[in-house]
Amino acid sequence: MASQAAVDKHRVTAVLVSHNGAVWLPEVVAALTSQTRPIDFITAVDTGSQDSSTKLLKSARIPFINVDVETGFGQAVSLAVEKLPSPIDHEWIWLIHDDCAPAPSALAELLDAIDDRPQVVMVGPKLLGWHDRTHLLEAGVSIAGNGARWTGLEPLEYDQGQHDGNHDVLAVSTAGALIRRDVFEELGGLDPNLTLFRDDVDFGWRARAAGHSVMVATGAVAFHAQAAANERRSVEVAGAFLHRPLLLDRRNAAYVLLANSSWWILPWLVIQILGSAIARAIGYLIAKLPGYAADEILAVGVLITRPGSIIAARKVRRKQRFVSARVIASYIPPRWSQLRLASEGAIDAIRGKLFAGDSQNSSPSILDSDEDEDLLTPANTSQWLGVFKRPEVIGFTLIALISILNSRNRFGALVGGALPISPSGATDLWRTYFESWHQVGMGSTSATPTWVAITATASLFFLGKVQLLITTFFLVAPILMMYTSSKLLKHLTGNSWISIPAAFLYALSPVAIAAISTGHIATVLFMILAPYAALLLRDIEEIELYSWRKIAGISLLLALLYGFSLMIFVIALVAALISTLSDYEKHAIDANSGHYSLRLQKKAALVFLPFLMNVPYSLEAIVNPSRLLVEPGLLISGGGPFMALLGNPGGANALPVWLISPILLVLIISLFSTTHARRIAEYGVGALVLAVILAALSISTHGNEASSKVWPGPVLVLVTLASVASGTVLLDRLRETLVLSHVHYRHILSALLLFATFTYSVLAIGWTATKGADSLVQANRETVMPAFLSVETNTKILVLREIGSKDDKKIQYYLSRGKDISLGEPDVAPAQTPAIAEAARGLIDGSGVSSSATLSNFGVKYLFVKAPFKREIIRSIDGLGGFSRTSATSLGVVWKVTTSASRLMFVGADGVRKELQAGEVGARTYVPSAGTLILTETYNRSWQILENGYRLDRSKNEQGLPTFTVTEPGEISLIHDGTIRRGWLSLQLILFVVVLVMALPAGRRKSDISEKELA
Amino acid sequence: MSLSRPLRFIAFIGVAITIASALNVAITKKSYSENYPAVVCPPTLPGLSSQISLSSRQTQFQRLQNRSTTTDMVKVLRLPVAKDSLLFDTQGSTPVAWQSRSGSWAGGVLCTGPVSSQWFVGASADITTKGRLIIVNSGLSEAIVDVQVFTENGKQPAKSLTVASKTYLVVPVDSLAPGDQRLTVNVVPRSGRINSFMIDEQGKGLRALGGDLINPINTPSRSLVIPAIPNQGKATDSAAATRHVLRVLTPGDVDASVTVELVSADGIFVPVGLNSRSIAAGVVTEFTFSPKISSAAFGLKLSSTEPIVAAVESSVATGGKRDFAWSTPAPELSEFTLALTGLSPLIAFVGAEINVALDLTLVNGKVIRKAIQGRDIVTWKVPDAARSIKITKVGAQTYAGALVSSVNGYGYFPIASGSVLTRVEIPDSNIRILNP
Repeated sequence: MASQAAVDKHRVTAVLVSHNGAVWLPEVVAALTSQTRPIDFITAVDTGSQDSSTKLLKSARIPFINVDVETGFGQAVSLAVEKLPSPIDHEWIWLIHDDCAPAPSALAELLDAIDDRPQVVMVGPKLLGWHDRTHLLEAGVSIAGNGARWTGLEPLEYDQGQHDGNHDVLAVSTAGALIRRDVFEELGGLDPNLTLFRDDVDFGWRARAAGHSVMVATGAVAFHAQAAANERRSVEVAGAFLHRPLLLDRRNAAYVLLANSSWWILPWLVIQILGSAIARAIGYLIAKLPGYAADEILAVGVLITRPGSIIAARKVRRKQRFVSARVIASYIPPRWSQLRLASEGAIDAIRGKLFAGDSQNSSPSILDSDEDEDLLTPANTSQWLGVFKRPEVIGFTLIALISILNSRNRFGALVGGALPISPSGATDLWRTYFESWHQVGMGSTSATPTWVAITATASLFFLGKVQLLITTFFLVAPILMMYTSSKLLKHLTGNSWISIPAAFLYALSPVAIAAISTGHIATVLFMILAPYAALLLRDIEEIELYSWRKIAGISLLLALLYGFSLMIFVIALVAALISTLSDYEKHAIDANSGHYSLRLQKKAALVFLPFLMNVPYSLEAIVNPSRLLVEPGLLISGGGPFMALLGNPGGANALPVWLISPILLVLIISLFSTTHARRIAEYGVGALVLAVILAALSISTHGNEASSKVWPGPVLVLVTLASVASGTVLLDRLRETLVLSHVHYRHILSALLLFATFTYSVLAIGWTATKGADSLVQANRETVMPAFLSVETNTKILVLREIGSKDDKKIQYYLSRGKDISLGEPDVAPAQTPAIAEAARGLIDGSGVSSSATLSNFGVKYLFVKAPFKREIIRSIDGLGGFSRTSATSLGVVWKVTTSASRLMFVGADGVRKELQAGEVGARTYVPSAGTLILTETYNRSWQILENGYRLDRSKNEQGLPTFTVTEPGEISLIHDGTIRRGWLSLQLILFVVVLVMALPAGRRKSDISEKELA
Repeated sequence: MSLSRPLRFIAFIGVAITIASALNVAITKKSYSENYPAVVCPPTLPGLSSQISLSSRQTQFQRLQNRSTTTDMVKVLRLPVAKDSLLFDTQGSTPVAWQSRSGSWAGGVLCTGPVSSQWFVGASADITTKGRLIIVNSGLSEAIVDVQVFTENGKQPAKSLTVASKTYLVVPVDSLAPGDQRLTVNVVPRSGRINSFMIDEQGKGLRALGGDLINPINTPSRSLVIPAIPNQGKATDSAAATRHVLRVLTPGDVDASVTVELVSADGIFVPVGLNSRSIAAGVVTEFTFSPKISSAAFGLKLSSTEPIVAAVESSVATGGKRDFAWSTPAPELSEFTLALTGLSPLIAFVGAEINVALDLTLVNGKVIRKAIQGRDIVTWKVPDAARSIKITKVGAQTYAGALVSSVNGYGYFPIASGSVLTRVEIPDSNIRILNP
C-alpha cells in the first residue's frame, strides 16, 4: 500500500459500513482488495448485524468497529473517520456500502478524474445493477422539486456508455463516493438527521453551497444492490419510524429540500411536497399498496410535526454557505424534464399495453436483411394500390359511405325517436344527475340513471358540447360497430375475406339500423361494446379461473352498459341463473361444492357488482320493474315477438318486415354444425328465446302512461353477434370442406345461405341509404313549445298534442315546464297525477267544467294545444270556461287559466289566494301574513320551508300537494333537501372507485420483486 | 352427430313463440268517450214566437240568459221559447225550432251542435230586408267569429265579431253588405262554441213580404241535392206557375259550371237555361225558373265543376198571405231521430232508389213502423200526432227535406241530424309530446 503513495499524491481510506450484508459482503471485500490502485487503508463499521457480516470482516482481516443497530450511515462513517489518524493533504475517504462492489479499476479511475481538478471534493462512480450489470442505476444524482430522487435516467435504462464522461453533478451516491477528508470534516460529515437515504444528496448540496465541486466519473464503475431501498433488509436506524424504508426516504427527501432551499421558496416547496405526497399516496392506493400510501402521508406528517430539526439544520447550512443558490439551481432538474420523463413513461406503458402483440410481428431486424439481395430486387412502386384491395379498406370505406348517406339528415343537434334534445352544455347534464328534484311534469325525485353522468363525462372530449357528442356518436357508430366486431371475428377466423364482411353485416344488421334511426343510445353503445364483452368473456365457462381483478374489470364494462340499460342486467341475470343451474347439476352433485361455490361467487360478482355500481337508479328499478326493460330517453314501442324472431326489433323506423335478415337461418344451420359454431349458436338461440319473450311484454314508464311493447334491442344485439360469429366459424371451416369434397347438400345450403345474406346486404344498403335517412331522429327540428311560453321560467303548461302515424293518431298530453324535454328528463319523468288526467280528459270530451279549477290548483298556468289538431277540441275547450285565449298561431292555440296559478301559492287567513315568486327548485320570498303556503309540486318529505330559522309544519292537502302553515309574516326559504341523493351518489362513487382500484393492475412491494427484476 | 341437442334448441324457440303469443295480448291503443254534443236552438227575437219540437219530456235544457250551468227538464214535447237561446241535451234526437211572426211568415230550423263553418245562402241587404244574423256562443269562454259575406258584387271584407260567453249576438243583415241584394254569408268561429242562425224577413213599408229561417250548409260541395222545394203552381197554368229563384255561389277562386236537374213526380229534367251554366267565382248568382209541374214538391240536383253552395227561394202563399221559403241542400240521409211534435211536415225523399225504413213515434208513445220506397222522389206526409221519426234504415244516396205549412207561413228544413254522435278519444299522458 505504501508503494502506491509514490505513484500518486493521494491517500485513500476506504470506510465500509455493514449491516446484515453477508449476502453481498464477500464480493464487496473481494472487489476492494482487487483494486488496480490499491486502497491505502480499509476500515469498517458494523451496525449491529445479526448475520455473519462481522465474521466475514474478521476473516478478511478488515479492522472494524461495532456500533449500535440504530446508528445511521453517516454517523457510522463519522465514527470511523474519528478513529483515523490525523488528516493529511490529499486524504480521501472512500465510502463503501456492504452491497456495493466497485469494479477493479474504480478507485484508479476516480483518482484519475480528480487529479487535475482540485476543486472537486466528492466524486462518485457510475452505479450499475448488482445482478444485471448492464442496468444503469445512477451517474450522479439530484433531487426533484417534489422530493423525488432524480437520476435523469429512464427506468431499467441499458448502459451503452450514453452517459459516460466526467460530469459536474449535484451529488453522487455514497455508495462508492470518494470524499476529501478535510471537507468532510469541515462540513460536519453526513447529516446525522439523515440516518439513511438522501444523505448523499444533502452532502453534495452542502458541498456545492460551500463552493466545492462534485462530479461523477463514469470511468469508475460500481455494482450496487440497493438493498435497503429495495427492501432486501430491514431498516433499523434511529428515526426510521416503523422501520419502513419508503417512509424514511420520503421524510428525508422533504428534509433535504426544506433544509437546503432558499427561504423564499419554502412555501411553494411545502405545497409541492404535500401535493405530490397526496398524489403519490392516491397512486399507491390505486395500485393497492396502502402501506406505501401511508408512508407518503406519514413522512410529511412526521416532518411537519417536528419543525425543530429543519430550523436547526438551516442554521448550520447558513454558516457553511459561500455561494449563491443560483449555482445549485442549475443542478436541480427543471420541471419540464420531470414532466417529459413522466409522460414518456406513461406513453410507453400505454403503448406497451395496446401493442403488446406487435412486438411479435415487428419488422425484421436490419441485421437479418440481405443487403445484396435488396440491391438486386427492383423497387415495386405500385404496391400501394394493393391497399385498396384489402377487405379491411373496402369494408370500412363502404360502411363509412353508407353511414354518411344514412346520416344526411342528422348533421346538427339530433332529436326525435327515443332521443330528446340534448342540452347545449355538459353542465346541464351534471345538474340533472346531481339534483334531488327534477322539474319534470309535476316533479319527480326519481334517481337519474348513470348514463347521464357518463354522457356528461364523455362530452368533455367534445369541450362539453353534448350535442356534438351525440351527433358524432350516431355518425361513427356503424364504423365502431364494424371495428369492434372485426376484432372479435379475427379470433374466429384468420381469413379477412370472411371476418370483414361478417363485421360489415353486423354493423348493418336490423338492430343496428333500427337503433340508430330511432335514437336508442343503449343499443347502439351495446352493439359497439358487445364484441369486446364477448372477447373478455370468451372463456366464461371456466369462470373459476378468472382473477378477481378480471372480474372487477369486466364489472366496470358491465356497469357502463347497465348504466345505459338495465336490460343488460336482465340478460346477465338470466344467463347466470341458467348457468348456475347447470353448474349445480355438474358440480354440486359431485360434492365438488367448493368449486361450485367459487363459480357462484364469481358469477354473482359479475352480475351484481355492476348493478350496485348503478345505485340508486338500479335499486329503484327493483321497485319499478318496467325500468329494467327500457333504454334512455323516450319509450318507443318494439315490433313484437315475431319481428324479434327475425332479429329485427321492429317498431317505427325499423327495417320493413319483408327485409328479412339471415340471422335466424344462420343460427339454425349453425346448431347442426360440428364445429365451435354450434356452441356460439346455442348462446345465440338462448338470447333469441329471451328476446322473443321480452318483445311480447308491454310496459309503461318514462312518463308514458300508455302501454308500449318492449324494445328488445339489447338482447337482439347478442343474437346478431352470435349469428355473425357462428356464421363466420361455419364459413371458415366450411370453405375448406367444400373445396375438398364433391358437390352435395352442403354446397347447396351454403349457396342458399350466401344468397340470402347477399340479398339482405344489397337490400339493407339500399334501404339505409334511401328511406332509412328519413329516420325518427333528425337534426335541427323545430321545438314543440313556442318561445313565448318559455319566457316565464318553470311555468307549468298543460300541452295537448296529437301524435302518431298518419293513420294512427292519438291525443296525448303532458305537463311542460315551458320548454321541450331534454336529455335525461324522460328517464325521471313521473306518471301523471290522476286529477290532472281527469282534467285533460274533460278538456277533450267537453265534460271538463272543473278542468280549469283543477289545473289552477296544481299550478298550471297555461293550456297549449299543439297544431295540427282537430278543431272540435279547440271548440270544446273554448266552450268549457275558465280559460281565456291568449294566442292562436300556426304552432297552436294557447289559453291562460283564468284563476290564479303559480308554483308557490299563499292562502291568507281571509282565504284569498296569492301567487308567490318561486321559479326555481329552491326559492326565497316574502310571506305577507299568517296563512298557508301551497307548493304545487308532488308531495315529498324533502320539501322544507324555513322561516326565521325554523321549519314550517308540512302536511299534504286534498290534492296531494305539500302545504306549510305560516304563523307570522316574514321571509321564507323553500328548499328541497338533497341529502339522501348526495348520500346515494357518494356510495356510488365509493363503489366505483373500489371496483376501479380492484380492476387496475396491482403494484408490488419492492420486497416482493425478485432480485433479477430489480437488477 | 347427435341431432337431439340442436332439435332441443329449436324446440326452445317454439316454446318461446308459444309463450310470447300468450303474452302478446293486443294493446288497446285507444279508448274513447262517446256522446252527443248538446244542441243549440235559436233565440226568439222580439215580435216572433217560437216553439221547439222535442222527442222526450225528459230532455235536459239550459238557458243562455245567465252563466249558470244548471239544467232543467223540459217536461213537454213542444217547448215555447219566450226569448233566450236554449241548449238541449237531446242524446241524439234533433229538435226542430219553428219560428213565426204572426200573420207574416213562419220557418223552421234544425237545432244543432256547434259547427266549424256555416254557409247561409239567402237574404238580401237591400231596403226591403229586416233579416237578422244571430250568432250564439253557448260556451263558457268568449268567442271570436269571422263573418264573410258574398254578394252579387263579389266577396266583401270579412268582419270579426266577439261574442261574450253564454250569450248571442244579433247582426242586422243589411249591415253586412248594405244595398246588395243577393247575400251568402259564411260564419266561421275562430274560437268558441258557436252556432249561427239567419232570419230572412222582407217587408216594404208596413207590408210584410214574408220571411223564413235559412238553414245553414256546412260545407261547399260539387254535388248538392235540395230535396224539397214547395211548388204551389199548376202545371197547366203557366201564368200561375210558382216562381223559384236558385241562388248559387262558388266560394273558391275558380269559376264553376253548374248543371241543375229537377226531380219531381212529373219527371226528371233540366230546367231551361240551367244546363252547364257558368258561375263566376265569388259572385252570388241567381237563376229564376218556373217549372210547369203538378207536384207539390220537387227536388233539385246540382252538379258543379267546383264546390258550390246553393239554395232555392220559392214564393208561396198560405192562407191568402204571401210568403217565401228557402230550401237548402240536405246531406245524405242517415240513421237518426228527428223530433217533429206539432209540425206534421211533408217530407220529400230524393234518390235514384229510395228505400227508407223509419219508426214513427206518436205523441201517445205509440210506434209505427213505416217503409218508404220508390224511385227519384217520394213524398210522405207525417201524421199530425207524430212526436218523432227515427230513421232506422236508409239506402245510399238518399236525401230528404221537410216542408211545413202553418197559419203564419211556410217553412222548410232539411232532414238531417243536428247532433252527430261524437267519439272522443280519451287522452293518455305521454312526455313524448314534448319532443319534436
